[in-house]
Amino acid sequence: MKNRKRFGKLALTAMAVAAAALLTGCGAKKEAQTLNLFTWDGMFPQEVLSGFEEEYNIKINYTNFEYDEEMLAKLETAKGGDYDLVIADDYIIDIAVSEGLVQKLDKSALTNWGNIDPAFQGQFYDETDEYTVPYGAGIPLIVYDPALVDFEITGYEDLWNPSLKDNVALIGNYRVIDGIVLKTMGYSFNINDTAVIEEAGKKLLQLAPNVRLINDNNTQDYIISGEAAVAFLYTSQVTQAVAARPDLKVVYPKEGLGFGIMAGFIPSQAPNADAAHKFLDYILRPEISAQCFEYIGYVCTTKAAVPYMSKEAQASLSLPEGAQSGEFIMDISGEANEVHERIWTEFKAALD
Amino acid sequence: MKKHDRNGLLMSLPLYIFTLVFVLAPLCYMVILSFLKRAEVWGVVNEVTLDNYRNILTPVYLKTFSESLKLACICMIFIILVGYPFGYFMAKLPAVWKKRVSMLLMIPFWTSALIRMYGWIIIFRSNGVLDKILMALHITDEPLKLLYTYPAVIVGMVYALVPFMILAVYSSAEKMDWTLVEAARDLGASPVKAFFTVTFKLTMPGLMSGIMLTFIPSMGLFFIADILGGNKVVLVGNLIQEQLMKARNWPFAAALSVVLMLLTSVIIYLYRKAAKVKDLEGFY
Repeated sequence: MKNRKRFGKLALTAMAVAAAALLTGCGAKKEAQTLNLFTWDGMFPQEVLSGFEEEYNIKINYTNFEYDEEMLAKLETAKGGDYDLVIADDYIIDIAVSEGLVQKLDKSALTNWGNIDPAFQGQFYDETDEYTVPYGAGIPLIVYDPALVDFEITGYEDLWNPSLKDNVALIGNYRVIDGIVLKTMGYSFNINDTAVIEEAGKKLLQLAPNVRLINDNNTQDYIISGEAAVAFLYTSQVTQAVAARPDLKVVYPKEGLGFGIMAGFIPSQAPNADAAHKFLDYILRPEISAQCFEYIGYVCTTKAAVPYMSKEAQASLSLPEGAQSGEFIMDISGEANEVHERIWTEFKAALD
Repeated sequence: MKKHDRNGLLMSLPLYIFTLVFVLAPLCYMVILSFLKRAEVWGVVNEVTLDNYRNILTPVYLKTFSESLKLACICMIFIILVGYPFGYFMAKLPAVWKKRVSMLLMIPFWTSALIRMYGWIIIFRSNGVLDKILMALHITDEPLKLLYTYPAVIVGMVYALVPFMILAVYSSAEKMDWTLVEAARDLGASPVKAFFTVTFKLTMPGLMSGIMLTFIPSMGLFFIADILGGNKVVLVGNLIQEQLMKARNWPFAAALSVVLMLLTSVIIYLYRKAAKVKDLEGFY
């Protein structure tokens, strides 16, 4: 009985302590705001994130997604809430805008708006620049090891060369890979004609013997380590491959380039749109932006940042001549997409 | 007595609610989803169709099912070959060593399965650990291409699943009455005959549950095919993931999952049936 009483007292004190902690905890929370940032892993260097947290006294809650589709599904479930700032790919932003999940930017809060390179504005997903701030652009390219390849690679067509048997590493995006087959046949990435896509599927099957592996993550590792002699890579991977192995050659395929832009947008019901604007403005500062692009290795979309980057970065992170003519991968009809998906599965099943 | 029953029901109520909310409801959602039509751009439209199931009959998608079954069967053979003797001899070890060995079996589970698979990459890759050893021993002259091949996937699968077989066989071999083997030997059976007529039959339940514990997961371990197979082996799991995450065809992904679930249910049913027959008829 005594024991129980003592226990009761103890529990009461514990509860009081806990309640006090909870109260002070709440108080502290009110002072420090939170920015819910939703994007891929590794999109910002830690110094940039910490710098923002210190300067604005806003805590960054960085959440990752792996695929654009995953992001949109979550954003839709949250009805455009939960997240303050999302950075994702062009085509998915297009869908997000049409689903009413994106709010217009308050440009008066973006004092550094003028730092954006206009070459990356006015694109299909945001023609009037009302919703997005571009954050990096990319062109998938071929990289090869001249020591292991005995001819000069100039285009996608060369990937079919029989001497490259079991030596090609590919990224795993089916629209991109199916797309380069369409390019070798002289068509657009975004063709809706299913007969043409079927035709491309047959040609893709002939590429199977040359494919060493397909992987979307860290694909550059395979060419750096010599596991593959040729790789078709995303821009950031190209940057990393060449940084690690300057002897590797980069090819701008002659059949035409693919092009993509990543951009930040604020969801329609963002809990803290104010913090999102502050963050966007912060990453548009020339010196911060330069830090970001050197870190992520994508083509720099902030014009004013270029002088702040190292010489090597200036060269590798700017668009080469004629790259502006690169074609975006856009949404196609459901029917065409199903054919794409099927020929891609057939291709993968034909490997090995 | 009645009161006791009511209490029991009350106690198990949270479990029922949990099952309803987190197992049955998503399951129903998935089944319903599998009969809907994908929207042109995003999501699904409320239009009932059998197209998703018809789509599975496309040769390339049917093939992913047969590929998954094939891989699971091949892995099963190796798992039995490695796991059965291991579990059997483990049961014969002195008590201290039993503890030590089962500890050693458990330790790898402290690390995420994904990371352990990356460990295999270091061993298998060109100029990796295995290549260096083989070249140092002059067995091979140049780096082999071991990674991103079918055998690499099998090694990964067997490695990931074999502990379940070992523990299942071990637990039934450990419970076994070894005096029965001695009796068989006394009555003139050779060691081989004694093993097959007594030990093997008595450890059968362990072997069967080992098969259940490893065969069904091996249908779903798609990340091993991704990591060690370089995406070159398309299993049902890979296909579902891709349809869901990349192709945005949720209804088709749901239909594939429903079929996969039916398939595993059939396997479990067959197992149950086989196990029951065994219990009734006995082995002697």
